[in-house]
Amino acid sequence: MDAFWIILTGSLVAVSCALLGSFLILRKMSMVGDAISHSVLPGIVIAFFIAGSMQSIWMLVGAGILGILTTFLIEFFHQKGRLQTDASIGVTFTWLFALGVILVTYYAGNAHIDQDCILHGEIAYVPIDLMYDSQGNPIGPKAVIILSFVLVLILAFIFLFYKELFITTFDASFASAIGLNTSRWHYALMGLVSLTTVASFESVGAILVVALLIAPAASAYLITTQLKTMLILSSGFGILSSFLGYWLSYLLDGSIAGAMVTVSGFIFAVCYVIVRIKK
Amino acid sequence: MKNLFFIFIALITLGCTTAEKSGDGNEKPHIVATTGMLYDAVINIAGDKVTAEAIMGPGVDPHLYKATQGDLAKFNKADLIVYNGIYLEGKMSDILAKLGRQKPVVAAAESIPKEMLKSAIGYDDAYDPHVWFDVQRWRYVVTSINEALIKLDSTNREYFQTNAASYLKELDSLDRYVKQRINEIPEDQRILVTAHDAFVYFGDAYGMQVEGLQGISTVADFGLKDIAEVIDLIIENNIKAIFVETSVSDKSIKAVVTGCQEKGHEVKIGGYLYSDAMGELGTEEGTYTGMFKSNVETIVNALK
Repeated sequence: MDAFWIILTGSLVAVSCALLGSFLILRKMSMVGDAISHSVLPGIVIAFFIAGSMQSIWMLVGAGILGILTTFLIEFFHQKGRLQTDASIGVTFTWLFALGVILVTYYAGNAHIDQDCILHGEIAYVPIDLMYDSQGNPIGPKAVIILSFVLVLILAFIFLFYKELFITTFDASFASAIGLNTSRWHYALMGLVSLTTVASFESVGAILVVALLIAPAASAYLITTQLKTMLILSSGFGILSSFLGYWLSYLLDGSIAGAMVTVSGFIFAVCYVIVRIKK
Repeated sequence: MKNLFFIFIALITLGCTTAEKSGDGNEKPHIVATTGMLYDAVINIAGDKVTAEAIMGPGVDPHLYKATQGDLAKFNKADLIVYNGIYLEGKMSDILAKLGRQKPVVAAAESIPKEMLKSAIGYDDAYDPHVWFDVQRWRYVVTSINEALIKLDSTNREYFQTNAASYLKELDSLDRYVKQRINEIPEDQRILVTAHDAFVYFGDAYGMQVEGLQGISTVADFGLKDIAEVIDLIIENNIKAIFVETSVSDKSIKAVVTGCQEKGHEVKIGGYLYSDAMGELGTEEGTYTGMFKSNVETIVNALK
């Protein structure tokens, strides 16, 4: 059963990340996941000071607020400051992370606070981190339940607003010409990205999320020019990474997240070689 | 889309069928401890009545430990899990505490009375978890492990009790030994400068002033001000030696040595101290008492 839960968790994260990651690549914002993984630090420290506790729920709230603030600032500097998205991402997350480091050294030098220790989860422990109902009976792994909700939300968002997302992603000026509010759709998408990344960090750790936001979508981007095909292909690559990665880590008795990311990189390499040969 | 869904289900089913591993038919209870110090306490009490293993090996920093695929199987196989608690193991502590609903799990260091723990900034969850460098505090840990073992296997009650009593006696004589050795250091020289704040309880118990360059958290790097303050302290008190830890980088300590030299004060590196992890299993430093003695030896020889 353990293998089932871990692969399922990996796949849920992989599909959520692949779907959002496809849009991020097309909007040249792939590094936003990495940015959020760093910029949540001040949120964690402030949440700790307000709540006086390191319980996950407070850390999630603090990290979630900072995640949304990060995406908001990135878009603000990009739109109003006319900064390129990569520069905007870079300046926002380094600044927020540095702010967090100062807060830790100044106020909490003797407490063990950093996102590696108290926010980032570990996919290996998913099967033993159960959620219980009010009678105290186990329902299932907490990560699977939370991530299933996140995935359903993302799927609903994409199915309902596919057209709007499509137009604002590919042709922003045409979108505004026909009366779509491009920045509203951007913020909606980014809000989902920060929700997904923060929830996934808490369940499976940062490296897996950051990598799965980019690698499967990038592999699909090499192969197809159709958005729909890209969404399906990248989800498939994500699931394959999760499955093969689990068994790789089983063979090596190594880190599960590390193995899954290695496989996703390998899939990208294979796609690249195939595309080059065909040309 | 549909095809993908079926492939997904097939992959997952494949995962289920091959992953189940049967038990190894071993009748002795199996005990899993997170750190080497806890593992050492377990085998000293339970001897060969149980099988035991440690998750974190020698030289591993428990704050930064990354789980492997096999760790989950170890936790699942365990009849009793012993961990330090007080957030030494980071988020792993939360998960192990929850696992306590399904099998016996003991947070050994959390049995120490709260008033004996040092809280850095006055919040409930922010106690210093490095409790093993004070023998009196560590006694609580040993006692709580003993109680957990008896609860697990009451047929060996007598055996555990005898072993625990003689181990506690050994700890008491270690305690006396440490006090006696520390007394060899001139009183104004009893200042311990290290890279990371793992010796707060040691200083409290044995009357040494402890100065750590880096806070407990690993993201908080030492600041220039910290280094300058430590250098002033060293020169003011004419300290002869400062120390490096086996599980932390020695860069910051080397910076302090250079800084002192520039101001015309010779300070040497007194040697390596075991802090968050013990030495190799099977060596003297791979046991709790051996590691403790080795640290005290290093400190006393350098500062005497």
